[in-house]
Amino acid sequence: MSEAINIGSIDEIDEGEAKVIPAAETGTGEDIAVFHAEDGNFYALNDNCTHETASLADGWIEGTEVECPIHSAKFCLKKGTALCMPATVDARTHKIEVSGDDLLLYPNVPAVVDA
Amino acid sequence: MALESVIIAGGGMAGFTCAKELRSRGFTGRISIVDPEGVPYDRPPLSKDYLLGTRDAAQIRLIEAEWFEQNDIEIITSTVVGLDTAAPAVTLADGSVHTADKIVLATGGTARRLPIPGGQLPTVLELRTRKDADHLRSVLREGTRLAIVGAGLIGAEVASSALSFGAEVTLIDPVDPPLIPAVGEVLAHRLHRMHAQKGITVITGVPTGISVDNDGVHTVELADGTSVLADVVLVGIGIVADTGLASTAGLETDNGILVDPSQRTSHPDIYAIGDTARTRLPDGTLLRRAEHWEHAMNTGVTAAAALLGQDLPEHGASWFWSDRHGVHVEGVGSMLGAGSQVIRERDGIPVAAFRIDEQGLLAGCAAIDGGMLVRAARRIIDRKKPVTGEQLADPDVDLKKLAR
Repeated sequence: MSEAINIGSIDEIDEGEAKVIPAAETGTGEDIAVFHAEDGNFYALNDNCTHETASLADGWIEGTEVECPIHSAKFCLKKGTALCMPATVDARTHKIEVSGDDLLLYPNVPAVVDA
Repeated sequence: MALESVIIAGGGMAGFTCAKELRSRGFTGRISIVDPEGVPYDRPPLSKDYLLGTRDAAQIRLIEAEWFEQNDIEIITSTVVGLDTAAPAVTLADGSVHTADKIVLATGGTARRLPIPGGQLPTVLELRTRKDADHLRSVLREGTRLAIVGAGLIGAEVASSALSFGAEVTLIDPVDPPLIPAVGEVLAHRLHRMHAQKGITVITGVPTGISVDNDGVHTVELADGTSVLADVVLVGIGIVADTGLASTAGLETDNGILVDPSQRTSHPDIYAIGDTARTRLPDGTLLRRAEHWEHAMNTGVTAAAALLGQDLPEHGASWFWSDRHGVHVEGVGSMLGAGSQVIRERDGIPVAAFRIDEQGLLAGCAAIDGGMLVRAARRIIDRKKPVTGEQLADPDVDLKKLAR
């Protein structure tokens, strides 16, 4: 299991917003987007859309979904599932933990989905 | 009787989406896609990444080839040449006859040819298929004189891509600027001006004839008496819906195969989706036939739901995009129609245009490099959220907040 990275305070990402943790910090070779969804929870997916090159962190967050800012593919923030075309490949999830006021990201550890 | 089998004629965005949706909505019966090009691929990259060679054939597939086998969807590489609505059945190019409970026509269209002398010359190119793109790529090189007729979406995108080959591009369109119906006049001007700024020769004119000499040099004659010499001529002036199969089989057509809001044609066992379908509302009103990627996807989803007797999905305002000269253009709703237009500028440059209809509601929006703004506008349109012209024009107003 990889080490958790403290990516800062929960206050740094407003609800409906996201922030990118660059590949240099994630250690996975890929940028990871951390989303503050409208259910109040935090989720992390690989930032690059699985369809073409686009940052999902720049996408439209609604409920627990994100819509790609370029071609409008939608992904489930909880499971990474590609919900509509043009994406057919799911986005990779990473575990996020809230520890006090801090956000801990576990790169390469899949998010645990309850229900 | 429960649905047991579906044949989809055409494996473009519409046909593929229909098959995928049938499976994801729980259909376990037989699904066959018939397409002369085999495994479905995405067309938008044909004028961009695929033409440039930065993405190859495998990379523009709509989904990996194995998926079809994994999902028990048969791909038949052939062309449907006959439709029997009574059986119902399709006849393929090899003469074989395939029956199914329902047939979905997703045959798209063919590139419209110029109705002028020389318009049918085989050396006058079009861009509709991967093969077309392969050919175009093979003839573009440093110094190639490329004349493009039609500066709408495909023409403009190819013009932009061709610059990467070092081609000398001339872009001809009868109107200046094109795309006003799609993005409004102000953005249309900004987009069209980019061509000249990038070194493309832009001509406003009407082609009256095309000829080719023994050396393969084309002369495109224009109505004002001038002419353009070109090694390669590409025409991008839209498509003609492929309605032949349908009309021969007795289905109602009118610049498209007529369908109801569930994508069903005038025959209850035949559906039509994508570029080839044209919606007729219950009151008889014919909608404009759409030739956009999203429409192809949406109609594929709708037909899948309808075939399974499920509730029809609601799709909201239509949406399109275009990429050229390093900018990303998107439009949602309609910029065409009554009401007033509002422009949003940033640093004196128009970045977005909006149309407010006569009821004061947002009806259309287009933006250059404004993906989130368009996504916000789409929700404002669909949710009929009240907005004012002042808010839309103010670059400091975050539309996202207005859309919530």
